[in-house]
Amino acid sequence: MPQTDQVPHRFSKHGFSLEKAIRFFFASNAGLTIVILLLIIAFLLKEGLGFFPGYRRELQVYRIAGLEFVDLSRSNLSAHEQLASVLNRAYFAEINGLCTRELKRSQEAAALFNAFSDRSSATRELLVSNLGAGAEAHPDLLATLRKNHAASIHQALAALPATPHLTSAERADLLQSIATRDVTATDDPPLVASLAQQYAAAQQQQSVPLARLRETIDAFEAAGADLSVLVSDMTATVTATKEAIQNADILNKGRASLLAAAGHAKDPATRERLLTDARRSLAANPDIDAPMQALMLHKPVCCAAHTALRQACATILEQLPPTLSQPEAQRLLRAARSATGPFLANLANTPQRISEWRHDQPVPLSAAIGSFLTGKDWVTGGEWQDFYGILPLLVGSLMISLVALCLAIPAGVGAAIYINQFASLMEQAIVKPVIEFIQAVPSVVLGFIGILVFGSVLRDISQLDALAWVPGFPIEERLNIFTAGCLLALMSIPTIFSLAEDALNNVPAAYAEASDALGASRLQTSFRVIIPAAFSGILAAVLLGLGRVIGETMVVLLVAGNRIKIPDFSSGIGAFLQPSHTLTGIIAQELGEVPLGSVHYQALFVVGILLFAIVLGINATAHQFISRPRN
Amino acid sequence: MYNPESLIRKGLPKGHIKDRLVRFSLGLVTYLIVIIAALLFFKIIKDGAPVLLTTKAPYVDLGFLLDKNETLHVFHDARGQRHQLAASKYSAYVKDHAGEPIYNERTFSYSGGGIIGPIVGTVLLTVGSMVLALFFGVSAAIYLSEYAKQSPFIHAVRLAILNLAGIPSIVFGLFGFSVFVLAVPVITSTPSERTLLTVPLFIGKAVLSFQGWNSSLLAGCATLACMILPVIITASEESLRAVPQGFRDAALAMGATRWQTIRTCVLPFSIPGILTSSLLAITRVAGETAPIMFTAAVAAKDDLPWQSLANPFDLLSSQVQALPYHIYTLAARIPASEFTQRAQYGSVFVFLMIVASLSFGSMLLRAKLRSKLKW
Repeated sequence: MPQTDQVPHRFSKHGFSLEKAIRFFFASNAGLTIVILLLIIAFLLKEGLGFFPGYRRELQVYRIAGLEFVDLSRSNLSAHEQLASVLNRAYFAEINGLCTRELKRSQEAAALFNAFSDRSSATRELLVSNLGAGAEAHPDLLATLRKNHAASIHQALAALPATPHLTSAERADLLQSIATRDVTATDDPPLVASLAQQYAAAQQQQSVPLARLRETIDAFEAAGADLSVLVSDMTATVTATKEAIQNADILNKGRASLLAAAGHAKDPATRERLLTDARRSLAANPDIDAPMQALMLHKPVCCAAHTALRQACATILEQLPPTLSQPEAQRLLRAARSATGPFLANLANTPQRISEWRHDQPVPLSAAIGSFLTGKDWVTGGEWQDFYGILPLLVGSLMISLVALCLAIPAGVGAAIYINQFASLMEQAIVKPVIEFIQAVPSVVLGFIGILVFGSVLRDISQLDALAWVPGFPIEERLNIFTAGCLLALMSIPTIFSLAEDALNNVPAAYAEASDALGASRLQTSFRVIIPAAFSGILAAVLLGLGRVIGETMVVLLVAGNRIKIPDFSSGIGAFLQPSHTLTGIIAQELGEVPLGSVHYQALFVVGILLFAIVLGINATAHQFISRPRN
Repeated sequence: MYNPESLIRKGLPKGHIKDRLVRFSLGLVTYLIVIIAALLFFKIIKDGAPVLLTTKAPYVDLGFLLDKNETLHVFHDARGQRHQLAASKYSAYVKDHAGEPIYNERTFSYSGGGIIGPIVGTVLLTVGSMVLALFFGVSAAIYLSEYAKQSPFIHAVRLAILNLAGIPSIVFGLFGFSVFVLAVPVITSTPSERTLLTVPLFIGKAVLSFQGWNSSLLAGCATLACMILPVIITASEESLRAVPQGFRDAALAMGATRWQTIRTCVLPFSIPGILTSSLLAITRVAGETAPIMFTAAVAAKDDLPWQSLANPFDLLSSQVQALPYHIYTLAARIPASEFTQRAQYGSVFVFLMIVASLSFGSMLLRAKLRSKLKW
């Protein structure tokens, strides 16, 4: 860095000079970074800040039109349906558990036959289409096709799934019947059909002692009928109102823009024309009072229906058997029992909420902000009502980051300690370039590997019987939080590794020498002197890795499964094996499809602002740690 | 790389079992990372190399590299033989075999033909953004290293660089979309309806309309350049500072002006370093998908960027295909099957080879530079 001040030459004029111009040019380029940062902030805010008023208006319409009122009942109805479905699953789990042998035999025979049909279908369809009436195929062609089909049958027979529950005689019989089957036959082979019949008979037989449970479940399902009819009645009314309000909003907006254009128009004729247009498009204020009054008449009926449903459910649920014999059925029954309490409590307090509900209660701006920050639903493009709740996305992003950091911190920091403290020069020369190479792998390639290879491998591993004790195994979806977390860990390891290694390298040699001189072992020097001294740097490395993980888009978009739902934590750690969506993924997925300037579009920009704030916060904290003087 | 401490402390006693245990477990973690990385490369090379490499001369399947991307048609002919043809060859086949039935026809989008479109698009995007980023980035670095003194302005610039470097790429995508696609000024005689502001230029009917460049090569380049700017500035500043102070002092003492000093005694010695670190920046620009998703990239395009243009400048305002976006499309939008594997693994293999050779080249150059320039 030059220390001398630039003294203008004696003869150079004060004011403009070439040197000054050059200097100014370079300075303005340096200033470009500030301009870009300010532009980013300004345009994110410009596109995003309109969201809250727009969302507030949507929530207001939601209330005025009465959709909110209907949702009070609807939520209970859907809880009722869910409970009924859990009970049904428990019932069938019990029955299937009791006739496992028949179920397995039937399934295996069917799977064998399906695998065979899949593999020989191409040649078979070809043959059949030439055999059919009207197809006058040449005999030579038919012969070739038959030969091809025979070959594919032969191939298909060679690789069929195992059937541990069928006797070898049965299997041979089945193979015989499918090998000699007529190509045009469409019915199942006799053994498959008879096993299916046996299974049905066994189900029939096992359901006799469970008849009482069946009746209870049926009664429970039937109890919701009244409320269901009521809700669908009200739904028709309120959606019509909502549509009327929205149409009026659109007309009003068009009118406002016509008026604005008229204000700008210089030509009196044009202005007159625009004004006439505006007057013509004057929207008739939609009639919201009459439908609302009609809706309010439902209040007592609704309350009564809820009370009735509650009483019915309470008595019916008491009749459930205390235990079921099959473990899966028992688990589902327990889940149903634990859901019963909140369900009944909700039913109990709904009448009061219904009678207190008022359509003319204003929606403050804070309600829109609150609904965005704490809303549990991100529902867009639906017919009923759009909700922009950030929680499912935020939770998804955080859970994926947690998985990634749990894997990347030990790996990255451990490797940094090993390379810096223990490795030979030779090892350093191998490992460092490899890790640098990982950093160069584009994220979309990692996502590609995740979607095509890693997800399936993980699912296959989870289906091993030996690993059945791991919570959440076997996994249902191959694309889930854990898969994404693993790949993001691989992405952030180079960042964490190289920064942590720098931090360890920056510890003055005197520290280590002093420690050695005092007689400390290598391990003591490393873990009690060097690592504590580099701790703030390592922490900064971890934070910068976290910033990278949260901001990463392509991997999570491809691999996280993209289901917008807060994972179900009732299954404990298995929640990490469920699919999820993320802050970054939602922007990448939806920005291409939304209309410019719509509330949804603005919502995506607000998500961007949030992401920007989170990552800048993390990075600022990290740089605090880096610049903190070592004591 | 070279850590003298580890040499000095080499002679220390190795310690007992606990020491070995810790050493072993840390080594295990380290080599696990190396093995996972190796497995990843191995998988891509194993499935991708057969697509691109052939056993006959010229040992490379030029069709995959040089053909346009098309839909793949898979079908059986009347003799029961299976064909896999890209759309253009398929229509030629249908014309040649008019009247013959076709069975079991299935189509796979984006899976036929080659990937010349995405390759060309990525090259254009990379070159464009690197030209922009190098021009502005090196200029900014010259100011920071040669002119700047402690001042609030410099402090703000450094803070901005630090913050820009941390912004997630998808936020750059949002920024590029709202600024370069929707808001930057263009000179036009027919301003679009969504223009933010029009400024008359008093030359014919032309006005300066703030309506953006639409989704185009230029918008994509500008977005990527903004994203990579902090990396370029930091690397260039480092290279400039590596030039010994004596060079500058000597030049200034001879009566050279500040700019002459920079031009003759600082820049020539730092250019190799700047270019080396920009190779690394290129790998990042070429690999990014999120910033170009809404600003430049398109999934399918029939022509190469320069074909069917009214005038050469339309190249900048047309959308392009890009290799990372192509891979995203192949991975996310079409189901994996035996017929799509060629396109999927082939594209990833080509992409990874490009990125790997850039990154490897940068590593080699850096090593060479270190041994050559020792002041």
